[in-house]
Amino acid sequence: MINRTKLISRTYDLPEGHTLAAYESVGGYKSARKALAQTRDQVINEVKAANIRGRGGAGFPCGVKWSFMPKASAKPHYLVINADEGEPGTFKDRTIMEKNPHSVVEGCIIGCYAIGAHAAYIYVRDELHLSKERLWQAIHEARKAGYLGQKALGFDYPVDVFVHTGAGAYICGEETSLLNSLEGRRGEPRLKPPFPAQVGAFGCPSTVNNLETIAAVPLVFEVGGDSFSQMSALHHLKDGGVRLFGVSGHVRTPGVFETAVGLTLRELVYELGGGPLPGSKVLGVIPGGSSCPILRPEDVVNAPDEKSPLHPWHGKPVFDVPMGVDTYRALGTMLGTCCAIVLSDKADPVLAFHNIMRFYRHESCGQCTPCREGTGWIERILDKLVAGEATMADIDLLHEIGSNIIGNTICAFGEGAAMPVLGFVQKFRPELEAYVNSKGKSGTGRLAL
Amino acid sequence: MPSIKIDGREVPYEPGDTIIKAAHRAGIDIPHYCWHPGLSVAANCRMCLVEVVPPPGKGNVMRLDVLRWDAASKKYVSDKKPKLQPACQWSCDDGMQVFSESSPHVSEARKAVQELLLLNHPVDCPICDQAGECRLQDYWLEHGRYRKRMKDEIIHKPKAVSFGPTIVYDAERCIVCTRCVRFVEEVAKDPVLEKRERGNLGEIFVAPGRTLDNNYTLMTEHVCPVGALTAKDFRFKARVWFLRTARTVCQGCATGCNAYLDYDPRSMKVYRHRPRENAQVNQYWMCDKGMLSYREAHERRVLRARVGGNEVGVKEALEEVKALLAGVKGDKVAFVLSAQHSNEDNHALVSLAKGSLGGADFFLTGRAPGQADGVLMVEDRNPNTAGAIQVATTTPPRQMSDLLEAIKNGRYTHVIALGAEVPVDAKTLAGLERLKTVVIAAHEGPLTRVAKVVLPACSWAEAEGTYVNAKNLAQRSERAITAQGDSQPGWQWVVAVAQALGHKIGFSKLSELRKSLSGAPTAASASV
Repeated sequence: MINRTKLISRTYDLPEGHTLAAYESVGGYKSARKALAQTRDQVINEVKAANIRGRGGAGFPCGVKWSFMPKASAKPHYLVINADEGEPGTFKDRTIMEKNPHSVVEGCIIGCYAIGAHAAYIYVRDELHLSKERLWQAIHEARKAGYLGQKALGFDYPVDVFVHTGAGAYICGEETSLLNSLEGRRGEPRLKPPFPAQVGAFGCPSTVNNLETIAAVPLVFEVGGDSFSQMSALHHLKDGGVRLFGVSGHVRTPGVFETAVGLTLRELVYELGGGPLPGSKVLGVIPGGSSCPILRPEDVVNAPDEKSPLHPWHGKPVFDVPMGVDTYRALGTMLGTCCAIVLSDKADPVLAFHNIMRFYRHESCGQCTPCREGTGWIERILDKLVAGEATMADIDLLHEIGSNIIGNTICAFGEGAAMPVLGFVQKFRPELEAYVNSKGKSGTGRLAL
Repeated sequence: MPSIKIDGREVPYEPGDTIIKAAHRAGIDIPHYCWHPGLSVAANCRMCLVEVVPPPGKGNVMRLDVLRWDAASKKYVSDKKPKLQPACQWSCDDGMQVFSESSPHVSEARKAVQELLLLNHPVDCPICDQAGECRLQDYWLEHGRYRKRMKDEIIHKPKAVSFGPTIVYDAERCIVCTRCVRFVEEVAKDPVLEKRERGNLGEIFVAPGRTLDNNYTLMTEHVCPVGALTAKDFRFKARVWFLRTARTVCQGCATGCNAYLDYDPRSMKVYRHRPRENAQVNQYWMCDKGMLSYREAHERRVLRARVGGNEVGVKEALEEVKALLAGVKGDKVAFVLSAQHSNEDNHALVSLAKGSLGGADFFLTGRAPGQADGVLMVEDRNPNTAGAIQVATTTPPRQMSDLLEAIKNGRYTHVIALGAEVPVDAKTLAGLERLKTVVIAAHEGPLTRVAKVVLPACSWAEAEGTYVNAKNLAQRSERAITAQGDSQPGWQWVVAVAQALGHKIGFSKLSELRKSLSGAPTAASASV
């Protein structure tokens, strides 16, 4: 049963829901007041108890991340919010910025306090003009109300928030590239260590949180960390609370939906998404943004090991596994951003594969060899395949190039680009071979329906 | 000392060392393109990936899912591989185990990187100046050895782009390792290069409105591990495999940068100077001026003896010297040491003065000072000022201006000088023309123009010599080519002059001279 909630999205349907008045009418800024009355450690422990797994894709626990920040240091600390939202198929953060920007500002106040920062930078993808405008508006309102400033919410703790615009590179969603870009440098991932908590923005200790993660923080102080975590069906896997799920592609009612963590892919696609378009079936679903390997309806969970988080679903369809960070990792895919892309059987998976790999070739920053050259090689092979010029030997290269990118790059972009390759070749090898044999005429020839 | 194991071999390390640094020190080669011991770590080429097993109790190796194709069953098979780490970035930890040559996963990764680096490379080795000293070539043999699988047209990028007066860039050959970018920023302190575009379209470019024209432009060519940056000076001049190399000391200034002097043994022609690593002196670097000074081996040379401006044979010249100096008293002779000549040459002249002629009036000449650049180049543009002063021991040489003053007062009748350069205005040398002057010099200069007799000396390229730099470090420079024309090492000329005058000087071979010199505080700390 779907446990739909209306917490992060509580202002979405209110008239002028993005304003301070609307936000306060549903209890806004009470959580920050509660948090700032506590000690820093209390705040971090509360968020740890809430088990908020990072909503940007990697799923790192937010409270644990905050605890990495030094307690005392000579340098200023910074909170950086990642709102670059560039993962194809992902459009959840945008709804928060447009419809509930004050939850972000409130989250920033709590986050800054927890990590000892006095400034938060929200790094927003360039194209999201309304988002930037709404965030600035919220910041101005909060400053005017005295919620931001030298005495945030009247406490003796200065906090200010700024919006910073990206320049349209996917790689700047990677946290260290984002920091470089924020500093006015070329958006390339940094080497780690040092990690941002040691050397982050402007050489100072910093925490980078996804925008939805920070927007969920006020909810923790509203209901209590443990209660927040308990809302999730995966509380036992330390994957707590509620989150936004998106669904797009070949479904009847695409959109963003808020539910408790633990929703299944079947529920997301067939119920919230309204199921496949009339007269078609689901061919496959990319669960959490384009870098997550594709799942097919006929895929079955194979987890005979009792220790596996997936064991309870052993032998059942993967579409019925609750969508959690650890469950999906165990499936060999990723939960990513929780925004699924649905592919219909009327569409051509080879074209979808080609489209995704074009994207990764275009967005590779080119810093390290495997990703720079590997993504380009994969795209070329698929270019030829689609044009009917590829050979079987070319297809045999794809998994090898992908496997040699995985693990060998500076940042996770390499895996993000290579994992879909491994997913597509495993699940659509016959279709790829048919393209070779028919000289590119075997598919439906359509990607959009 | 803490240690790690590389392929089973115990390798000690210093705290803070990365794996590649510890290996480098132990003489173990971990293949790399972007890493350079004198630059910051970029870790972008991924050639130095190694398998790292942390010390017991300090974490596990992450294992990653990869895919293999089983041709027999026509099925994909899941496989695992350990997460590899770049040796240039990964810090040593006591008891850590590293598998480099011995790991099949590492071999696979390096082969893959090698193939990817050459994927869009033009492989134009026959017309590339880097050929013969290119890592793409070396590592293909060592780690690649695959057959080309990408058979499509490569990605074309700008070629033969002039970066400035000295350097040409070929973006197709570039592997974007950013060594040049890091060098100009970190060492030359002139961040004039950057990377632009992204993915496999990346290339290096010069900041708009600028050219690559600092004092260290040629170094960018030397840090470039491939043929992307080539020096205009060396382009299409020689194949490096025909060149032989001598370990020399740069003659450009008192820093005394350690260098390699490359020459063609068939034509005895010198082609270039390259930096030679010395942590105490120049680290890994040399300035443009120093590198281009290899030309001095052939340019402006004195190759024949001259008497009164006319070329003569060696014998005739010595007879003229004998006639000039016959019966002269040592105190009427000014002995001019040279900051451009080696300790050996200067010591010979000192020996002639003190031992044979009974003189003790020494002066020091050399090139006029220039500007220090705060990196390598110092004001003193002579390689052996400190050495010449040391060699004179108890009778320190005086300035050139003192000599001119003394000449004006009629103090001297004769001058015996090493070197042709003077740090004073050439016009003020007019007084010298009236004296009986013998100059032993490798190059034309103000002194050779006023000398009665000029004896052709070998340049540093043709003679072994010891030079003491500004930090008082004595360094030996090897001979590269054979003597040109009638030239002989400066000290040999001095010996010949002594013999012509019927004096004994105490040495006639280099080994004897060095024995005689060893009383002076010089050759002991020679670095070569």
